[in-house]
Amino acid sequence: MTDHPDIEKVLKDALAVAPASERRLHEMRASVEREWRGSLAMPRRNPIRHRAARLGLAAAAAVAATAVALWVGHAPALRESLGSVSRYDGGGVTLRSGLFAERSLKNGDALRVGDRLITHGAALVALAQGGTLRLGPDSSLTVDSTSQLSLHQGLVYVEIPADAAQHLRVATIAGSVEHLGTEFEVFCADQAVRVRVREGRIRFLGNTDTVIANAGTELLVAPGKAIARRAIDTFGSEWLWTSELAPEYDIEGKTLIGFLNWVSRELGRPLDFADANARQIAGRTILHGSVHGQPPLRAMSNVLLTASLTYEIRGDTIWVRTSP
Amino acid sequence: MYEADRALIVRMRAGEQRAFDEFFNASAPRLLAYLARRSGMDSASIEDIVQNSLIKAIRNLDRYRGEAALFTWLTEICRHELADVSRKSARRPAHLSLEEPYADSYMEDHQLQASPAVEPLWQADAASQRGAVMTVLQRLPAHYAIALEAKYGDGMSVEDIARQLGLTRVAAQSLLARARAEFRERWLEFTR
Repeated sequence: MTDHPDIEKVLKDALAVAPASERRLHEMRASVEREWRGSLAMPRRNPIRHRAARLGLAAAAAVAATAVALWVGHAPALRESLGSVSRYDGGGVTLRSGLFAERSLKNGDALRVGDRLITHGAALVALAQGGTLRLGPDSSLTVDSTSQLSLHQGLVYVEIPADAAQHLRVATIAGSVEHLGTEFEVFCADQAVRVRVREGRIRFLGNTDTVIANAGTELLVAPGKAIARRAIDTFGSEWLWTSELAPEYDIEGKTLIGFLNWVSRELGRPLDFADANARQIAGRTILHGSVHGQPPLRAMSNVLLTASLTYEIRGDTIWVRTSP
Repeated sequence: MYEADRALIVRMRAGEQRAFDEFFNASAPRLLAYLARRSGMDSASIEDIVQNSLIKAIRNLDRYRGEAALFTWLTEICRHELADVSRKSARRPAHLSLEEPYADSYMEDHQLQASPAVEPLWQADAASQRGAVMTVLQRLPAHYAIALEAKYGDGMSVEDIARQLGLTRVAAQSLLARARAEFRERWLEFTR
């Protein structure tokens, strides 16, 4: 319908707005989704009773706050958040916070400065500044600040976008790891610390040495020994635990190539196309639906089926080809 | 009247992931654009307002009854959130906390009605082309303005506009034609 072409142009020009960045939308979505998931577990109370109850609770809270303030000398401020739990498996995560008793974390719960965590199973944490923190089972760590955590024991994997607003440092008994826009894993057992760099670069500040390590490098730090270094693969079975904890990827409205690049990054394997047709299809296909709950490899397999494509892994590379 | 929107909320409250995806994908980018067209705020502030508004909407899903389009309900929450931010920033440096008890009363009392108190929304520079267009749109009947903004601002199809306004496709098409004609008349008057 172009009954008023000049008017249509006036409207289009004036109403056009630059779209929000994908990253910001992703963060916003994560926050809103956390709220939604939290709301599912909390039945809504009657608004009138709710308000009365809130007044009662507020009064009780005021009395309690006064008592606590008198006791400890000052009222505690709300501590800053490092991020929040997005997912965890069977064992869950236990948190001890200040003077309070241990409690189990659930999805959407924040990790705040000063919290001490013990994981019984693996867990995924969405970082407030962007990126993810993946925790291996039987790990113990403390949130020192919004930019540092201390790993006392166990396994963590840090994935930070290169343009993240803030860096995250992992402190261990043998030194600390600073990333330079990257993905890396830190394992801590007894006095030994192992750092594996999957993407980008890290800086390891040891008690005596400082070392820069690039992707595909493993550092081993043991008491009384020099830092040992060796080359490693950035893909394969040793990284599977991290892809099992990959954050959800919302495919709705995204290009197939964008999705494939995400899978490639999650698996630590380069992506290539076996034929020109497959490359074209990946570039122009817009995805709809959801791969909710599927780890990257299974999600890719299912998505490619719908685009008449298939894949195979040869060497380190994911090859995408047109279905025969 | 807005059965599809009401059904979407029911599915969300039942915990259906796809329903949440539909809700977020359909509302977040549009709300960002909606506020960007109306306020002189920077994009980070607008994003904060939209995020807080969506979180408040999630907390109050049980109050949406399908009496207006879901997007209209969300824009009302956004308008109040913006007014709240403007009020607070006039009193002290803007620092919103989701931990603060939010104004339940506006969710209850102003579910669908815009309050005259929230007019700081229209902060676009009236001297600019956008400001002028927004001023003229504001003078149109509300459903004309909604349809034109959806079509030319958000790039929505006639089918989606029909769904949002609870109309048939033909009725939506006809509404758009009338809205354009009305806009044109007032635009020529305004720019004369």
